[in-house]
Amino acid sequence: MGRQTRAFLGGMSAEFGRLRRSRLMIALVLFQATTFIVLVTLFGMTGANAPTLVVNYDSGPLSQKFINILENDHHAFALTFISNETAGENLVAEGEYVCMIVIPANFTQNIQEGETANVTVYVDNINTDMTSDIQRSLPAAAQTFGEQLRFEGVNASVSETDIYPYDTSFVDYMIASALVLDSLIIAGTLGALAVADEFESKTAKLLAVAPVHPLIPLMGRVMTSALVSAGAVGLTVLFALLGYGITPMDPLGMALTLLLCLAVFSCLGAALGAAIKRTLPVAVLVLSLALPLYLYSGSYEPMRFDGNNIWLAAHFSPEYYAVGLMEHAVFGLEVTPEPLWLLVLVLAGFAIGSLALAGICSVRRLR
Amino acid sequence: MSLRALLNATMHDLYRWRRMPFTAATAVVPPLAMMLILSTLSIGVTTDPTALVVEGRGPYSIRMAQIIENDTDAFLLTVCDNATANAMLESEQVLAVIIIPSTFDSDVKNGTGKVQLTLYNVDYDSSDDVRRAVAMSVVEFNEPTFAPPNPSDTNSSSTNPYHVSFDENYLRATNVDWFHYQLVPTFVLMALNVGLVGTAVLSSIDEESGTARMRILSPQRASTLVASRILGGAIVCLLLITPMLLFSEWIGFISVPTDQIPALIGIFAGTAVCASGIGAMVGTLIKGTKHVAFLSTVLATYLFILGGGFSAIEFDPRWLQSLSVFLPTTYSIDALRQVLFYPNPTGVPMSLAVLWLIAAACVGVGALLLRRSWLHG
Repeated sequence: MGRQTRAFLGGMSAEFGRLRRSRLMIALVLFQATTFIVLVTLFGMTGANAPTLVVNYDSGPLSQKFINILENDHHAFALTFISNETAGENLVAEGEYVCMIVIPANFTQNIQEGETANVTVYVDNINTDMTSDIQRSLPAAAQTFGEQLRFEGVNASVSETDIYPYDTSFVDYMIASALVLDSLIIAGTLGALAVADEFESKTAKLLAVAPVHPLIPLMGRVMTSALVSAGAVGLTVLFALLGYGITPMDPLGMALTLLLCLAVFSCLGAALGAAIKRTLPVAVLVLSLALPLYLYSGSYEPMRFDGNNIWLAAHFSPEYYAVGLMEHAVFGLEVTPEPLWLLVLVLAGFAIGSLALAGICSVRRLR
Repeated sequence: MSLRALLNATMHDLYRWRRMPFTAATAVVPPLAMMLILSTLSIGVTTDPTALVVEGRGPYSIRMAQIIENDTDAFLLTVCDNATANAMLESEQVLAVIIIPSTFDSDVKNGTGKVQLTLYNVDYDSSDDVRRAVAMSVVEFNEPTFAPPNPSDTNSSSTNPYHVSFDENYLRATNVDWFHYQLVPTFVLMALNVGLVGTAVLSSIDEESGTARMRILSPQRASTLVASRILGGAIVCLLLITPMLLFSEWIGFISVPTDQIPALIGIFAGTAVCASGIGAMVGTLIKGTKHVAFLSTVLATYLFILGGGFSAIEFDPRWLQSLSVFLPTTYSIDALRQVLFYPNPTGVPMSLAVLWLIAAACVGVGALLLRRSWLHG
């Protein structure tokens, strides 16, 4: 075994020993990464299925039909039925529901007689986005109602063609991209701590006088942190796939994307660790940088939809390319205008670039 | 407890903050990152880039196009020809293409007019937004009185050929846009993160370096020293938040009604004290300063998100809504939104009362743990 190999393995072994003594940190990072998936779903939930109360005073078939449309049209409402209108008003006022729809007793009769039935709606208009979703959902439901019952006067309707044969759930879409964020948090933090700890504990000075290049044992440390990160990311992937019932269309593609992410983020973490040289701020800094990078990466919708400036800015983040590959591997979606081979190529370029950056930062600090 | 001794000990903690720029950055960077995130989201969430192709030349086509063009709340519209629209859809520059076909006028006369919608349906959040908006435009075309009402009008009703009309009643006589609704609570996150990280890290450093034991040997009473630690954390929060609020008021981002200034002070003071108390708990219960810093930031982010800072609590599952009842951020964020957004903030006194009750509990437990840790190591 050559001197360099021994130094590399020595670095790996030293990092493994350090990680064994930092089980609390690993647990915290894993906790953060796993529960972040849950938090992402909370944001995803806000976009659809407004919690809505329905008071139905009508027992005829048309009110049932109208309720079915409200329930199934455009993921607009999550309906809960209640018989007491005053209690319902209080629940809306207390913020437990955002809307209450009251269907009058003569709903079916009025429509059958060619008249108009007046539905009363109470809305907790907490912000314009949510209010306008409700404002649009009600006429949209009326449109479907009118089309299905072929009312006279409904002279125009919508004919829809979708690019994909199915709609992916917003929460699922965000979870797939959250796995990229998880790999950044885990690999970035552990990679950064591996290198920062070397400088903080002053052992880096000893590396500088070692008979091999000091980067070799340092890279050994980063390799161990990347391997441990791979295990941790594997756990979060299992949690996400099993917990949310997601079956990836291309599991191998997903695994390869995540491995590439681990390589990039471990090296970027190592560069950050060398630049800051302190373990305390570096972990928090990775966490702080992870969220903006995540949201500028097409994590909730294709970045192109946010306009040219944001889309161009997103190209500087490796997560943009990783999310593009991830959404394709998990759901078969193309969320970037760039072809997949280009995404792979750029992400691989990021891996090489971040390795070089980690090397440059470390060598500078060692000098 | 001597007030002078308390102030001296508090000032000592504040000086220590100045000597720890990295820790200060640790406390400030995450809330700033969150502000950046939410600003970006407000661009993406509100309007959808859409291409409109008007092939029909008759009056119905023109009216339909006008209705769609007027809906600036829903669409970021590009009016173009069919080839351009398809190219834009292919390169993901638009989420949808709406075509009013050349036969639209004659079809409408026959009762079979169709607005063609082609949708890049990657997920149903944005897709449904477009579907609803197009359906709304078509409804407005079929029945012109069916335009979206303004929430500022407390009641509005209309009739239509669908034989269903909606009498919409709004709980609040106000219009708060998504950007302000989401961004304002980040002030709470700033106060929370600074108080929590600062107090926790100082407590942890004292513990690790052994200065905690030295403190107990000082002639000051333990209660004075414990109170100074919590007060120091709270003061740092307020020192940071006050200029942020003043600057926001100056540039017109927020507008604080004069009669609500005491409530605003109550909200941030309560949040700061609460954060400091929780920080004392974390700093004494968890060993290792870097663990403490990391956990404090994570905890502050979670308290912010679960308290409704990142989404509307009403949309969360019931178990989470029940959990949020026990979180101080639920009350500080709710009270802050009421004070700044809604004309009749009747729920503020209640929210403030609960916030201060939780703050008192946090300070009580935090002080107890801090004192015990200093005394017993």
